[in-house]
Amino acid sequence: MEAPPVSVMPVTGGAVNMMEYLLQGSVYDQALESLLHRLRGLCDNMEPETFIDHELVYLLKGQQGNPFILRARRSLSHPTSPWHLRYLGQPEVGDKSRHALVRNCVDVAASHSLPEFLNEMGFRMDHEFVSNGHMFRKGAMKIVVSKLSRILVPGNTDNTERLSLSYLVELSVLAPAGQDNMSEDMRSFAEQLKPLVHLEKIDPSKQRH
Amino acid sequence: MSGGPAVRVSIESTCEKQVQEVALDGTETYVPPLSMSQNLAKLAQRIDFSQGSDSEEEAIEGEPRDREWTKPEPEEEEGTVKFQPSLWPWDSVRNNLRSALTEMCVLHDVLSVVKEKKYMALDPVSQDPTAGKTPQVFQLISKKKSLGTAAQLLLKGAEKLSKSVAENQENRRQRDFNSELLRLRSQWKLRKVGDKILGDLSYRSAGSLFPHHGTFEVLKNTDIDLDKKLPEDYCPLDVQIPSDLDGSAYIKKQAPDIGDLGTVALFRRPPKTKAGTQQWHVKLEAAQNVLLCKEIFAQLSREAVQIKSQIPHIVVKNQIISQPFPGLQLSISLCHSTGEKKTHRASPEKPKPDDHLYVLEHNLHQMMREFHKQQLSSVVMPHPASAPFGHKRMRLAGPMAYDKAEIFSLQHNEGLLEKIIKQAKHIFLRSRTARTIDSLASRIEDPQIQAHWSNINDVYESSVKVLITSQGYEQICKSIQLQLNIGVEQIRVVHRDGRVVTLSHQEQELQDFLLSQMSQHQVHAVQQLAKVMGWHVLSFSNHVGLGPVESIGNASAVTVASPNGEYAISVRNGPESGCKVLVQFPRSQTKELPKSDVIQDAKWSHLRGPSKEVHWSRMEGRNFVYKMELLMAALTPCP
Repeated sequence: MEAPPVSVMPVTGGAVNMMEYLLQGSVYDQALESLLHRLRGLCDNMEPETFIDHELVYLLKGQQGNPFILRARRSLSHPTSPWHLRYLGQPEVGDKSRHALVRNCVDVAASHSLPEFLNEMGFRMDHEFVSNGHMFRKGAMKIVVSKLSRILVPGNTDNTERLSLSYLVELSVLAPAGQDNMSEDMRSFAEQLKPLVHLEKIDPSKQRH
Repeated sequence: MSGGPAVRVSIESTCEKQVQEVALDGTETYVPPLSMSQNLAKLAQRIDFSQGSDSEEEAIEGEPRDREWTKPEPEEEEGTVKFQPSLWPWDSVRNNLRSALTEMCVLHDVLSVVKEKKYMALDPVSQDPTAGKTPQVFQLISKKKSLGTAAQLLLKGAEKLSKSVAENQENRRQRDFNSELLRLRSQWKLRKVGDKILGDLSYRSAGSLFPHHGTFEVLKNTDIDLDKKLPEDYCPLDVQIPSDLDGSAYIKKQAPDIGDLGTVALFRRPPKTKAGTQQWHVKLEAAQNVLLCKEIFAQLSREAVQIKSQIPHIVVKNQIISQPFPGLQLSISLCHSTGEKKTHRASPEKPKPDDHLYVLEHNLHQMMREFHKQQLSSVVMPHPASAPFGHKRMRLAGPMAYDKAEIFSLQHNEGLLEKIIKQAKHIFLRSRTARTIDSLASRIEDPQIQAHWSNINDVYESSVKVLITSQGYEQICKSIQLQLNIGVEQIRVVHRDGRVVTLSHQEQELQDFLLSQMSQHQVHAVQQLAKVMGWHVLSFSNHVGLGPVESIGNASAVTVASPNGEYAISVRNGPESGCKVLVQFPRSQTKELPKSDVIQDAKWSHLRGPSKEVHWSRMEGRNFVYKMELLMAALTPCP
């Protein structure tokens, strides 16, 4: 059965068009403790939250060049939580002075039959990985410090192998389209983390092989 | 080289030590290697001291050599080896020694020549005779000069010391600022922006969503005069708070009962500062309190406008007025006083301490903080991590296909204003109930009414146990026991016999109910007393349908007969009509006996005949049951 044609209509999630503002950076394993302490002090006063997630990336290859990518993620530490399906669009090419990466984002909560559903729809799993680390929040900003691990046997999340000796740090905000003041707050927050980790906007398309 | 067997090659290191002799059994004796000092001696021997930089000294080498050399050179002098190894470490030594040798040889030769007195003679050098005596003036001048240099040195040192002391004092003042800053930082959030130090006194990091920035600035207190004495509470650090957070604030709750006297005029006493707290701490705490009060009031007024209720709430500037009960008005106002205006607010009457208002204000603060805490609870954090923030259960709404009713039930449905109005209603209802019971208890002595309030209450529910008893007969007549559960708008009464009655907030209803219970109690008491006294209960009714209609409740009646059956007492008691007691006599005791042919036998005269009313008010006895007991005793003849 040939793959159905991928539509080129813009993807929206309902009435409101949500954009994700993103800044990324990384730290070595040795610097993790000091980074966590600093984040604990800067962010909202909560108990530190750890997570273990398993993400599967699905591709739908159409006749055109660019495949359609959907990310399905489930929590391994909270098995009863629903799955989370995410679509991330192309980064918006706005003015260069914008400090964060802005892209269209659609988030959907899904039940546990999501992988089978995606397979039936024609998506094929491209790769999967396990991510575990810590989560912080400050107002609307979410800071995630995570370590990515590769899954050696497909489907088996216990047997994983670390991909690198460092942790990925991501600062993200979900806001409706048109609100640009969030990037200023993100930039000032990133300044406060400055010598420990440098958060900057990394264009994913420039890193494609 | 794949083919052929492997060739064994054995390697032996070369012999480093010389073989002295080989014994008959093959053992080899080695020459022991030279020690360090021996090695040094061997090397030094190789140095040829005769090969110096000047070649004409070679002639003098002979005898003075052994005399001058014994000390510096411990080894033998005659072995001069032709072969000279690297002279570089010893070159300078050798040259110095050679020049010293030359000088000594010259001196020796001169002395030996002078000894002969033939070719050289020594001539003394003439001395200046005037150099012996040093004049006083010269001594004085030299002493003055030396003292002058010493004094200058001392003065320079003293100047340095005094400069360092002054610097120390300045440093101490600077360090005071820094130590104050450290203390400030241990309690408040500070950050450095450019060359200014800013702080955050808002509740945003604790979960508040109020849009006020809450930023204060830390300043160095430089207007201090070094000459004057430092004041007691001098602090090198000063904070500047935003102007709209100046002063102090509180939320005033007033509930004047219409028809009731007295509004309470509260003014807030300045909080007692603990010894040792700095002025900046007091200032910052007051500003934070003002901010919290503003946030609470903003939330309340927002809800007052949005929420639809039967009687709309009125929001006027700093006050929210609502009517929880008809006839009761609740006003919540934000009182923000900036220091100067305090004197004008002194009220002429003394402030009446009213607990309710403080409790409600405290509850408001508590509810606000709980709202903040909910914003930060880990229920909001997403699992998996890429999901957006939001309540855990709302995330299930999609996958579980909740409908509108289910989603509505998940969301917070009660706001701050509703909660506080409910609490105010409950407090008001409770105080009204207590007042009703107390007024009845003080007004009516027979029967007695007792109220036992439970210690453990809820913000929306309290309970009280009401007992109606007669004095002296508590063990006998305890049939009326009521449990009142005071809720937000209603009072639920549970009777001992299982009946449940729901009363509204009206004061009159409770009073009427209690009055009717009291009248029932009297009749129940007669019934219990009859059992004790041995009288038989002939009839008993809680609600008689005969006689005048009562406006409150119903009248109850009982009829009891004496043990021998001769007398009967009938009691009818109503809440309004009071009690009526009738005694039935046997026929034989009546004055006029109706003569009739029907009754033939005399035994019929023992039956009970007409009844007579008792003047109850003239009866002896302090309460109803006592009087009843006396009556029963009087009607029971002694055997």
